[in-house]
Amino acid sequence: MIVTEPAPEVLLTMPARPEGVGVVRQALAGMADALDFDASVLADMKMAVTEACTNVVVHAYEEDAGVLEVEMLADEAGLTIVVRDHGSGIQPRPARSEPPALGLGLPLIAALSDSFELRGSAGQGTEVRMTFSYARGDDPADSVRIDGRWDPDAAG
Amino acid sequence: MDANPIVLDETADDVVVVVVEGEHDIYTAPTLRERLDEALSRGGGIVVDLTAATFVDSSVLGALLDARRRAIEAKQGYVVCVGETVEPGVQRILDITGLVPVLPVLRGRDEAIEAARSPNGAGT
Repeated sequence: MIVTEPAPEVLLTMPARPEGVGVVRQALAGMADALDFDASVLADMKMAVTEACTNVVVHAYEEDAGVLEVEMLADEAGLTIVVRDHGSGIQPRPARSEPPALGLGLPLIAALSDSFELRGSAGQGTEVRMTFSYARGDDPADSVRIDGRWDPDAAG
Repeated sequence: MDANPIVLDETADDVVVVVVEGEHDIYTAPTLRERLDEALSRGGGIVVDLTAATFVDSSVLGALLDARRRAIEAKQGYVVCVGETVEPGVQRILDITGLVPVLPVLRGRDEAIEAARSPNGAGT
């Protein structure tokens, strides 16, 4: 696909709360539709972006006071989605939610996106940047299988 | 919430079907956990029917795996079904995580109900 129009750009800013994650998926679906993405790629995008937003909601902030930022940038290569928080950075501390998380978020994002980058430092917040190509050759998940590397029975 | 209902169907003998429709993530996972608790408390088999679900995330998988573990401990049957034509937003995460044989995941609701009649049916 050739983008001749000015590249679409979306910036969403909302409170980092569970109800916001579905709103991000809706916006993403609209963006992907406008860019003619295949339904299977949209499904992967929704899953990866949901996991990234869930990480922000669950891990980024001590209190319910932080923001979730999602940026969508289209260029010739594909759609890049940036999920950002201004929290305490990636730290080994317990999730805020009661049920234990599966720890599947980042592995899923890595498996589903065509490229993936994680930036962050203590006190500076965290940024997950993932790109999905318009045209896919191989399935990116083929090279990053998650099964066999984690034990679902150890999650509970 | 109405667009993404989770309801119990208790019309089958000895098996409660938890019917999950629409999109589900961290926002609705607590509701799913409540419904699964209700289903487990009936003491019989449990089927989680994702046929009309269009999207599930890892929060949902966490709830499904917790319920599976408790069903196995209580010797209750536990089976997930997805229907004949599975939405990419459901199939993909089950495939990538390798959970199809683990949960286990079957196609139709009827065969899932039948499988869930056997105690300890999950994971065997």
